[in-house]
Order: sequence, then C-alpha cells, then structure tokens
Amino acid sequence: MKYHLLTLGCQMNKSDSERVSAVLEEMGYAPVENEEEANLLGILACSVRQKSIDKVYSKIHKWNKAKNHRHLITFVSGCVLPADREKFLKLFDMVFQMGELPKLPDMIRQYGVGNGMNFNLPNGATDDSKKDETFNPVELNGEPVKKSLKGTLLAPGAIKPFWNIKPQYQSSFEAYIPIQNGCDKFCTFCAVPYTRGREISRPSEDILNEFENLLDQGYKVITLLGQNVNSYGKDKNGDEISFAELLELIGKKGMEKNADAWVYFTSPHPRDMTNDVIDVIATYPVLANQIHLPLQSGDDKVLIKMNRNHNVAKFREIVEYIREKLPTATLFTDIIVGFTGETDDQFDNTVKAINEFAFNMAYIAKYSPRPGATSYKWDDDVPNETKKERLHTLTSHLKKHTAAYNKSLYGQKLKVLVTGYDAKKQCLSALTEGRINIRIPLDEPGWVGEFKEVVVSGYTDFSLEGLPEAIREHAI
Amino acid sequence: MASEYVLEKEKIHKLIGIRHLTTSTYVLRFDKKSLDFKAGQYITVGKFNVEPRQYSVYSPNNVEYLEVLIKEVEDGKVSRQLKYCKPGDNLVVDGPFGHFIIKDEHIEQHKKFLFIGTGTGISPFHSFVGSYPNLNYQLIHGVHYGEEAYEKDFFDPDRMVVCTSKDQQGDFAGRVTDYLKNQEIVNETEVYLCGNSEMILDVFDILENKGFPTEQIHTEVYF
Repeated sequence: MKYHLLTLGCQMNKSDSERVSAVLEEMGYAPVENEEEANLLGILACSVRQKSIDKVYSKIHKWNKAKNHRHLITFVSGCVLPADREKFLKLFDMVFQMGELPKLPDMIRQYGVGNGMNFNLPNGATDDSKKDETFNPVELNGEPVKKSLKGTLLAPGAIKPFWNIKPQYQSSFEAYIPIQNGCDKFCTFCAVPYTRGREISRPSEDILNEFENLLDQGYKVITLLGQNVNSYGKDKNGDEISFAELLELIGKKGMEKNADAWVYFTSPHPRDMTNDVIDVIATYPVLANQIHLPLQSGDDKVLIKMNRNHNVAKFREIVEYIREKLPTATLFTDIIVGFTGETDDQFDNTVKAINEFAFNMAYIAKYSPRPGATSYKWDDDVPNETKKERLHTLTSHLKKHTAAYNKSLYGQKLKVLVTGYDAKKQCLSALTEGRINIRIPLDEPGWVGEFKEVVVSGYTDFSLEGLPEAIREHAI
Repeated sequence: MASEYVLEKEKIHKLIGIRHLTTSTYVLRFDKKSLDFKAGQYITVGKFNVEPRQYSVYSPNNVEYLEVLIKEVEDGKVSRQLKYCKPGDNLVVDGPFGHFIIKDEHIEQHKKFLFIGTGTGISPFHSFVGSYPNLNYQLIHGVHYGEEAYEKDFFDPDRMVVCTSKDQQGDFAGRVTDYLKNQEIVNETEVYLCGNSEMILDVFDILENKGFPTEQIHTEVYF
C-alpha cells in the first residue's frame, strides 16, 4: 500500500502533513514521490490563492480519470472554504478537517483497506478522541447531525485528538510544533477564519512534552506554529497560560536540558504582541533572536481597511522595544502591495516604513483577491502593472537594508545550522540564528543537520557566504 | 464518503423572535446560552448548511438574549435565509470576536465618546448604549432614508443626529462626512467608527485634518 500526499501552502499545512503521514504510515502505507505508483492519493489544500484551489481541482479530475484503469482512493483536507468543501464532497472519496484525522483509518477501512492502528502519542499525552464529546453528533431540529453539515466548521475542541498524533517528522533536525489553530482576527484579505475556524490553543502540557521529546532526539530548530501564536491561551479565558508564559517554560526547559537548539515562532500578530514576549526571548538562550512580525502596510488607512486592528505607531512601539531588548535580533515582516484602493501616497507610507524599520527580510506579495475573504467582494482596482512596480520599488528599498546588515556581518564568526547540500555545486546551505541564508562552499554532505561556526567571507543583498575559520585562514 | 461534521451543542442557539424594521432590515433575537461578550464585539450567525456571516451584537450584554441587526443583501444567501427563519429554529452562532470595545478605564474616567455609524453599522453603538447606561456619547447615524434610522427612540434624542443622504427625514440632509466637517471635536474624545470602509476612511481623513489624534479613532469595517 502506497500513498502520495500533495501539500500546498504554508508551514501550518506542512506541519499538518507530518501528522497525516504518521497516521497513514501507521496503517502500513509507504510514501511515494510519484503519484502514479500510489493507491491512496491525498491533498492538503490551501485557500490563500485561487491558484492553489485550481490545482486541487486539476489533480482530482486527473485522479478520477485514473480510477477508470486502477483502484484509487482519494482524500482532501487542509484549508478548504465551506463552498469548496461542498464541491469536493462530490469529487473526492473522503473530505475531512484536521480535527477528524484520527478517524481517517476508519474512513479508509470502509474501502476495504488497512488494519487496526494505535497512535504513537508524545510522552504524557492522552488519546482522548474517543471520549471527546465534540465527536458525538448532536440533534438539530430533531434530526441527528450527519453529513448535512457540509459547510460547517468543526467545533474548536475537535482539533485536540489531531494534536495528540505523534507526527512523522520530515527532517531529523528541524521540526514544527503546532501550538494553536484557527484565527479570530478576520483580516479582510484573508480567508483563514473561514477555513480553519476560530482560534484554539493546544494544551501547554502537550506542547512542552512534544518540545522535550524533540530536544531529546537532538532537534536543532524547533518552530512553534499558529496563525496568531501570540494570542495563545486567550481562548481559554484564564484556564491556560499566556504565550509569554509558554515561551518562558520552553526557555526554562531548554536551560534545564542544556539544549543546543534554536526555537522560533510564527506568526505573531502586532495587535497581541506584548513586551513580556520580548523580555522572555532576551532571557533564555534557546529562544532564537529572530522575530517575524507582519506589518502588511505602512499606512494607517490601509491597515484599517485590512481590519488589522493595529496602526503604524503600535508597530513602531514594538520594534523599538525589540531593538532595545534584542539588539542583535533580525526582524522579518510580510507586506501586501496594491491592496484594494491603495493610493500612491499610501504606498509611499509603506516605503517609509520599510526604511524606518530596516527589516532583514520582507515577504512582499502583490495583493490578489482571495475567494472567501471579505476583500474579495471589493474592486481589485490597483492595476497589476502598478502592483508589480510597487513590489519592485519596495524590494529595492528593502535591499538597501538587507545588504547593509549583511555587510555588517562581514568577518564575524557566526554559529550556523547546515540545512542542505547541493551535490552538483558541492556546496552547503545554512542558516544563521537570525535566519539569514548562508552558503558554505564546501563538499561536506555529512555536515547537514549540524551546527558549525563559520566566518562570514562574503555577502549579497539577501545572503551570506561563510567558511570555517581554519579553512578561511588557509585560503587567505 | 464524507466525514461527519459535528458541532458543539453550545453553538446551537434557538431563535426567539424576528423584528422587521423595514422591508429589508430585521433584528434576530435568539437565546444567549453561555455566550459572554463585551459590547461592540461581533459574532458569526448562520444556518447549518451555509457559511455563517459576521454580525456585531446589537443587544446590550446585560440581557438574557442576543440580537443582531441584519440588512438583507441583494443576492445574499445568509441574510435572505435568516430573514425567513421562524421562532424555534436553530442557528449556528460562534464568537465573540473583535476588539471594537470600550476600555473599562474610559468608562470610569467618564470619557466623551463620538459614535459614527452608517446603516446597520449602528449595531455596536446600540449595544454600547444599552450596556453602559451613563455613557457620555454623541451618535451620528448615516442612512439613505429616514426610515433606516433603526429604532432611534432607543437613543437619547439630544445625543443623536440622523444624517439622511437621499431624503429630508433626518436631522441633517447629507452624508455624515458633510455633517462632520462643520463640527468641532474636542481632543479628549474617543471616536468609534462603524460602517462601510469609504465612510470610515473619509471620516479618518476629516478628523486627521482637524488635528484630531488618530490613536483615539477606533474602527470596525463593515463590508
């Protein structure tokens, strides 16, 4: 039995795919790269752009055609809007939300495949899927709720059994820990609240268990994941610790275990960013000095229209505090250019923001209306050419700052994590603690997954080059 | 095979009644259950087989029911379905969400509030005024026609101005932005704007040009 899983979209989906793989492999399925070889085909969909959803339709039409000459089972999960979910129900054999992943083996068994399974749970975690009352159908107007709730999101508590599945980590040195699911922010450009539902925090005890387990296995980079990580705990109305407290426990655990690892989190929302989060990062060495803080626009009126619930002044306060408490931290952001109605003056404010905050990296996207998001109903009135120009302009401003920062690192000795090896170029790729890409021109594939010290020997606008000190001295 | 979609019982609310204010606008009242909210927040309301929509809570937070004010949208699936609900029907309600709320310290300080809403954007202000009895507020409600000044008797007439852009039935004939241009806003005021984004952005500009501190402007964009 072989499966092929296509994962579209963000790190959340990638993280989710590790749990999907775990469930399938526990059933006896083996992963295959080539979908032609698989008899179980799945997609973790992304609704951020129509292009991704189009890809799902294209795949399922192809797979359904293939069913004419071979036995196939298909499924889709991930970020799916209710309207698409209804259509997928007619096209896929199985459509489920992540909270229902523990039921996947039962669903597959209905097709006469697979054996019983037991989930591997992280130390201390319990499989409460069977006792979770959110899985008991309730009655609506006297009728039991079954397949009729096609367009409705699962109850928030339904995600808990999913979190308890031990993931099949795709890397031996880098792992994601989901700490929260869903979003309550309703930014007008984003459909996540409609695909993943409202914010729900994973129990801190489970997160800490998974974290400890990863440290014990020697993981070097651990990223805490969520749509709004820093609103962690707020949904529990005082029954769960805050994000800063969670980070503190992680920091303490790192100290206790003398961990040689970097812990990141993504992504926080400026509205919920508090000074205590920064203070904790400054205190515990395991918490990496890198912050990704999405600004989206440098104009207050565009931020209002985006329903971001923060303004540039609030963002400035946070950045000033980061610079004061974490002077060596790198700062990344996300920006959307050409949002509906964005004027030249409003865009100029974003340029000013890029120059003021001197980001180390900005993921700049041209606005594209996302079906399901509120702004989808508004005119996409900034011409594509203008969006392209704005993207180009902003990137050129960004480059000034990234290049200046990279130049400032020239000659410095840095600890880096080697993340990959290019056999063709006989060269290693690595990341600094601040997540700046660094190329190491060495034929040392065995270094992948290890921390190394290198001296920065070169730089470009967006990356560095480095060599171990001894080799560099020899080269000089 | 589709999986079962299951909801928590807590999210299923029973419709108590429906109050039609105009031919297209109505108030849904349903049981509150344990849904605790702060005045100004919104909830999502829907039927079981359609995507829910977001609505600011219209009712105060000190009563045993929830109300939302809904205008039937042309081609709107949800607003039309909800309009034809009958008392006793079940609704799927989630929330509360949002940060369009009044800070406790501003209530304690007896701050001045200026509320500006267009159309059903009056909802959070209806909830504010009902939830905080001694609020020192002024309300500007912008509508097309006088009949759309929904349940205006709820508000103190000395604190409310209805601006009508398409008839003369209000207190001021014209848009809220026209009215606002000639008003003086003291800098200690907390301004709350709720409605369509054009109104919000225009008012933001007017206030900014008057030198009003923009950090005291709170917004909730209706779509």
